[in-house]
Amino acid sequence: MSWKQPPGMATWLLKHFGSGPNNEAVLGDLGEQYQHTGDALRYWRQAIKAIPVSMVRDVRAYPHIAARALLIGWTAWILGAMAIFPLVFYETNFGFDFEPSHPFASAASFVWMPVLGRASFHGEGPWATPSAFSSAVGLPLFVATLCGWLVARLHREQQTSTVLLFAGSILLVNLLLIGPLILLVGSRVSYIFAGLLTACAAASILGILFGGGLFRGRSRTVSN
Amino acid sequence: MRKGEYLGNFDLMLLLALMRLGDDAYGVTIAQELEEQTGREVVVASVYATLERLQDRGLVISRMGDSTPERGGRAKRYFRITGAGTREVRDARQSLMNLWKGLPELKGEKVCRGNNLPEWLHGC
Repeated sequence: MSWKQPPGMATWLLKHFGSGPNNEAVLGDLGEQYQHTGDALRYWRQAIKAIPVSMVRDVRAYPHIAARALLIGWTAWILGAMAIFPLVFYETNFGFDFEPSHPFASAASFVWMPVLGRASFHGEGPWATPSAFSSAVGLPLFVATLCGWLVARLHREQQTSTVLLFAGSILLVNLLLIGPLILLVGSRVSYIFAGLLTACAAASILGILFGGGLFRGRSRTVSN
Repeated sequence: MRKGEYLGNFDLMLLLALMRLGDDAYGVTIAQELEEQTGREVVVASVYATLERLQDRGLVISRMGDSTPERGGRAKRYFRITGAGTREVRDARQSLMNLWKGLPELKGEKVCRGNNLPEWLHGC
């Protein structure tokens, strides 16, 4: 039987984002199944599902480490955002304003400060001008990279799963804030912002994964 | 059986698959066995995650096998059920049989000759 190369991208994803002591065995099993079936779709399905399964396995095995990683990641993210995101108000007299009576609006304006601050206060509108786009991507990318690095650095044994968990929590918060934003400002306005908000959220997540070292090729995660 | 020690459905299916496969139980064969018996795709990573949990409870043991070119040079991880695991399966079967008895909705199902168990449970 001639050797068939399994889908490279799926293998790469599982190699870099899969965690736990069984990741190599899973990769081997998927490769062996692929040699027999030649079913690339099945290989992709199995590889993609293996990533959250291995992360959940790590979180269940080490719940205290997972909780600590979330606490450290979010603390670093909030402090970093407070220090870096206000750069968006450069050349203006505005700043972030917390309104206790509107917690969702306050949270959204804080998380998306690089987008909303620029669009609201510079009078540029939410359109992706180079300046607005660089704020929306550059600032969260920088903060998230630092946070991802810190989480990875402090949880070397469960590096992959803790970094993924933190990135997942950032994604979740972004998704949870989308609903209230639509209710608050109306779907038409939030639709206009969609591109920059997506870029901001994507930059945050990519920054965490990059800072957490998940794009580097190496053997990792010696849980057990 | 003490609280918190029940076998889940997938736990039980995995232990039964290990008993059926004997010494040839590793990710691919276990997933294949379960898929043949249930008709549903099994996530290989879930098989490992569950078996690892069962291993922590002492119900299965594992050993690393040789690496093969077919697997891209990666080793197989073989699993075997322990005596404690076999006892757990037996207890689970007894509990299920007790619950099974006398349910009018399930009357008329095909059962294995001799042991009065439904086909899916006994695998005859």
